Amino acid sequence: METVVIGVIGADVHAVGNRIIEYALKQEGFNVVNLGVMVSQQEFLDAVIETNAKAVIVSSLYGHGELDCRGMGDRFIEAGYGHVLLFIGGNLVIGKTDFNEVEDKFKAMGFHRVFPPNSDINEGIERLKEDLLKS
Amino acid sequence: MTRFCLMDVGSTYTKGCWVDTDQVGILAWASAPTTASTDINEGIQNVLNQLKTIYPDFNYESMRLCSSAKGGLRMVAIGLVEDLTLKAARMACANAGAKLVGAYSHKLNLQELKEIETLKPDIILLSGGTDGGNEEVVLHNAKKLAKLNIKLPILYAGNKSCQDEIHQILSEVNHDVRISANVMPSYGVLNVESARDQIRACFLEQIIEAKGLSTLTSIVQDIIMPTPASVLDALSLLAYGTKQEKGLGDLMAVDVGGATTDVYSLTSNQAPPSGVQIKGLIEPLVKRSVEGDLGLRISARHVLDLDSELQADEDLSLYVDKLTHEIHGSSNPRYDENLASTCVKIASRRHAGRLEQIYTSMGLETIQYGKDLRSVKTLIGIGGPIVYAVEPSHILNQVKQTEADILLPQTIEFILDKQYILSCLGLLAKTHPDWALKTMKHHLEKIHG
Repeated sequence: METVVIGVIGADVHAVGNRIIEYALKQEGFNVVNLGVMVSQQEFLDAVIETNAKAVIVSSLYGHGELDCRGMGDRFIEAGYGHVLLFIGGNLVIGKTDFNEVEDKFKAMGFHRVFPPNSDINEGIERLKEDLLKS
Repeated sequence: MTRFCLMDVGSTYTKGCWVDTDQVGILAWASAPTTASTDINEGIQNVLNQLKTIYPDFNYESMRLCSSAKGGLRMVAIGLVEDLTLKAARMACANAGAKLVGAYSHKLNLQELKEIETLKPDIILLSGGTDGGNEEVVLHNAKKLAKLNIKLPILYAGNKSCQDEIHQILSEVNHDVRISANVMPSYGVLNVESARDQIRACFLEQIIEAKGLSTLTSIVQDIIMPTPASVLDALSLLAYGTKQEKGLGDLMAVDVGGATTDVYSLTSNQAPPSGVQIKGLIEPLVKRSVEGDLGLRISARHVLDLDSELQADEDLSLYVDKLTHEIHGSSNPRYDENLASTCVKIASRRHAGRLEQIYTSMGLETIQYGKDLRSVKTLIGIGGPIVYAVEPSHILNQVKQTEADILLPQTIEFILDKQYILSCLGLLAKTHPDWALKTMKHHLEKIHG
């Protein structure tokens, strides 16, 4: 049973989607460490270190994801946890930016997969399972 | 068995209480200077002799004792992440009545190992990883500890998945290995009770002998524990009560010493106010913190450095200089009171939780770190500097909330442990709870704020 750390990053208090992610992951047999809302990059990293989690799913709904996530991949690499899968999804930027651009931006920050608004959580979990098999 | 002699040894004075659990109240008290450098038995004998002289019918069936002799219970805590398992390990040590002399996070290196050898703690608490979590770092640290040139008890309270391996690594090199439940079994969840009980058991079995206190076991029949552990047992009883006897409810206590300031808080379960997000480790309802840099003698200079108001007082500064050079010099009650006030002010603020407000696109959000002590209604002053102060309430007042974001009590009643009964009566808290509680209520003195 792999451990996955989840939470809503930054000063974002949207709690519902994150709960649904927790529920769906548990249904699939994952051990979920839910850090809740208003989670900092360091909290995600600390939780990964202690729990030996293999993946992190970051949610951001309020449009400031880009600011909050800057340097996150590097932080994990610097701490020796660059092998941990970083997923992110939600309303990552304000306005109608082309999603390909958004995806490139977050991949450059170290995220392995980036999900647009209205993504199906079950599809996300399938990608997670595939990536975990490869990692 | 109803007649007990209860002793608190190791601090400046050895204190003794003579009690009969068939009647509420303490039959007699006595105290004598501790002679730790020679033999602490001398202090005990002097107390016993005093009691015998004053009360010809002095007799008891059992003697129980708590000790802070030879530096108390000195521990090193090792964890993985500073704010998670290391913090949990620190709390387990404090609640067991120990004084932390070193704390290490992540992988230990040789330099740190040498430091531990120099510190020569009584017990090492090794933690790290949630259950099923990180194994790499605790295994690394166990292998490093196996190379220590000193042999000492090591308590493992980390990830349960590598418990057996760690036991093997450390016992192969003849360390006294003990195992308890993980101090942080899952993320953010604290479980200090099992580790605390193991530390107390280890103190009783091993440390007494190692500290040359073993001659005591010939006169002390059953319970021996670190003094702060006994105080914590007494305070728990006083706060939560028993089935028969109601307690005082949520309370705090402060104890200022020469080198450290202890703060205790005992609270009941309460939901956070609506709209407040809790962050970090959920702290235990029964919490003790020890501030190793706040005290009236050894750490007096540091206390002065922390308080700009005190620094402005030149006479006080001269006094502190004198203290640093001659520990047993004559004391000035007014200056000591000012220093004690600063110790209590800073220590209680470090102990209490705090609120942080953050502006978000959804409006103002509030985050809470640590314990909310605003519901506490009682504060107990322990130890000479507070009890003998010209105005004890001046020192105790410092615990009151003055900053809106620090979660300290707003209105609070003061109680003084004038006869130093808490450490002694804590020794009967587990076996004679109703009697001990009634007796504490009988002797503790309320003072006006």
